[in-house]
Amino acid sequence: MDMILNALKYLAYVLIFPGFLFCFLSGLLLCGIDRKLVARMQKRVGPPILQPFYDFFKLCGKETIVPAAANKFMFLMAPLLGLAALVVLQLFIPVFQFNIPAFTEVADVIVILYLLLIPAVSIILGGASTGSPYAGVGLSREMVTVLACELPLVLVLLSVGKVVGASYQGGICFSMTKIVEYQMSHGSLITHAGLIPAAIAFLLVIPGETGNHPFDAAEAETEICEGMLAEYSGAPLGVFKLNHGIKMLTMTSLFVMLFFGGLGSGIESLVALVGLTGTAAHMVSVLLAVLLLFLLCVIVTAVGISLVHAVTARLKIEQIFKYYWTVVSGLALLSLVLVWYGL
Amino acid sequence: MFKKLIAESTGKSPWLFHINAGSCNGCDIELVSVLTPRYDAERLGFKLTGSPRHADIVVVTGPVTQQSLNRVLRSIEQVPDPKCIVTMGSCPQSGNVFRGSYSVAGPLSKYVHVDVDVAGCTPKPEAVIDGLYLATQILAEKRKEMKK
Repeated sequence: MDMILNALKYLAYVLIFPGFLFCFLSGLLLCGIDRKLVARMQKRVGPPILQPFYDFFKLCGKETIVPAAANKFMFLMAPLLGLAALVVLQLFIPVFQFNIPAFTEVADVIVILYLLLIPAVSIILGGASTGSPYAGVGLSREMVTVLACELPLVLVLLSVGKVVGASYQGGICFSMTKIVEYQMSHGSLITHAGLIPAAIAFLLVIPGETGNHPFDAAEAETEICEGMLAEYSGAPLGVFKLNHGIKMLTMTSLFVMLFFGGLGSGIESLVALVGLTGTAAHMVSVLLAVLLLFLLCVIVTAVGISLVHAVTARLKIEQIFKYYWTVVSGLALLSLVLVWYGL
Repeated sequence: MFKKLIAESTGKSPWLFHINAGSCNGCDIELVSVLTPRYDAERLGFKLTGSPRHADIVVVTGPVTQQSLNRVLRSIEQVPDPKCIVTMGSCPQSGNVFRGSYSVAGPLSKYVHVDVDVAGCTPKPEAVIDGLYLATQILAEKRKEMKK
């Protein structure tokens, strides 16, 4: 009986919260908020906030054309592979102190780093399976973008790990749970002077990882017909659009947990102050934590994705690579050096 | 519930694909102006896509020259159902001043079913938005018929 209940519980984690349903709703909502914000910044009225939902459901109702030259299995499975990786990834990112130990304790930052690659690999696989020349150009650019983002991302995670590890057993700490725990007792890591360059570097990595403007050379719709997505239509295209939304959620919530993880520390005492106890208190505090996380994700999206989108033009692929390996990596490296000397 | 969501969303998220069939570029510029901050067609969900596979509405400009005829028809065939074809300007509708020229194969309605004609040389952005909005309603109806 216990085993069945446990299995059901984990199924609920994977399918509802913080798994598929939560990712679906908040990912697309974040995408809609981003589009609205960009529109307002350009003095437009902009689409309704629910526009990505309309887009997704419309695409589900469209005919799916599989090109004659494509590998049908790979063509249809690639978007699902990316979606699965992103949902799993979201399970490993704690929601302040309310994480699911079974997931967050087995997997650390290294696993998150690897899982972040899979959506990019899935889009490359899907694009390559179509045999379209546009996809060929797009996937070579996507590979370069992924490679460019990886170095600063690793440096940022190393410097965060160093700060947290120094207060535990020494060395570098890669556990997401411990990073959040540290922030609960020591305050958010953004207040740590040595980590401010790392936070800026991570903020700049977000649009590159999600493939947003101005780092979207791989999916440039005006020059290479959206690159790897050129041959996709109907539901698989919708899933790729969904993946993009979820990736925005994943990257922004990772940023929040790495640098603003301490903001959730007051929630439990706040709920106790109102007079709730037991299960009800726990439920309410989890709900508050999720709302706080989503709000912070929206703020990070506004600053890191929408603002950057509204004020810049698309970069060429070699400019993207140069930018990430000099400016952004430089910031992250500066942070690592500062942290290494105990600042 | 899923079917109802699809039915409701179909008219709300029309993605455009623009084909220039020998146009003088006047209508093309006017179509882009519809998406600028002044008229902002994105508030109705319109989005310009780069690939015919992503499109719901195909906007054709120009008198359909002999050179472009085959490419136009092939591009239209690549659009997944349900789809709508909108002609923009007088050229694809009647040939306009190019009517009777040896190099013009139009009008477009000789070859494919055209859903909406937006006449004018060039049509005003308001007229274009009106025509595109009409196309979204036709699109929603086509989706309903597709299910039957």
